[in-house]
Amino acid sequence: MFRIRINGTIDAVWNEITRTDAVIPAFFNTRMHCNALAPGSKIAMRTADGKYTGVVGEILEIDPPRRFVHTFKFTNYDDPPCVVAFDLEQVDGGVVFTLTISDLPEGTKTARQMLQGGVMISKTLKACIETGRPTFGTRMLFQLFKMMAPLSPKKCRSEHWPID
Amino acid sequence: MAHDQLNPDKARCDAVFSALANPIRRRVLDLLVTSPGMTVKAVASHFDISRIAVMKHLAKLEAAELVLSEKQGRERRLFFNPVPIQQIYDRWTDQYASFWAGHMTDIQSRVESAQTSKEHKRA
Repeated sequence: MFRIRINGTIDAVWNEITRTDAVIPAFFNTRMHCNALAPGSKIAMRTADGKYTGVVGEILEIDPPRRFVHTFKFTNYDDPPCVVAFDLEQVDGGVVFTLTISDLPEGTKTARQMLQGGVMISKTLKACIETGRPTFGTRMLFQLFKMMAPLSPKKCRSEHWPID
Repeated sequence: MAHDQLNPDKARCDAVFSALANPIRRRVLDLLVTSPGMTVKAVASHFDISRIAVMKHLAKLEAAELVLSEKQGRERRLFFNPVPIQQIYDRWTDQYASFWAGHMTDIQSRVESAQTSKEHKRA
């Protein structure tokens, strides 16, 4: 579980984590593709140019602007999907953002990535809402990812991961 | 203290350091990192002190948001939240990210040559 406080409105944070019109810096600069923001809808997190898909899943719950739950599977690993839940709560002075990951099989590559990713997502979201962009170190990391994208495995190519 | 109400970030930072400044509380975090989702009872079983004493320590950890809890059925399960510790780390090391800026062109050329050799292998 990950929790961070963000100085902003609950609507701003909600819009940032559910947007489909642009990349989401907090989600490693990927763009969420889905046909509808509704339970049962398939989602795919793809690179900005749409060529590679890193994560696929299905929406389980969506209760704007408080709760968003979906399954989560890395296209690069054969591990079964886990479940990610985003909970937002407006409090005095901002928003409490909680990310809960469940159904995570111990010791898998997915488990390791999720634990590292959770911290990154939390702090990048806070930086984006409060300053308009990720921290310098994170921006450097995203540059690196962009350069490495052409070296992605073939199985991550978006043709293999349609959402219809 | 009154001035801390004007600076909630400082109060939260103080709460984190104060929570970490105790070896029992640090051991609780070790346990939760190893076994996320432990019950209060399971955590308490690792210590010689009373359950009430463990719960006081847990209260300090939860006030600092180093530990989060989730009700699962009838039980309350505890989880380590790494974010406050990451924020401490970032506060004093973000300038070391400038390491990357000096090396990006080098990394770029290495990636490009790896790409080229990959293409040559295919041809």
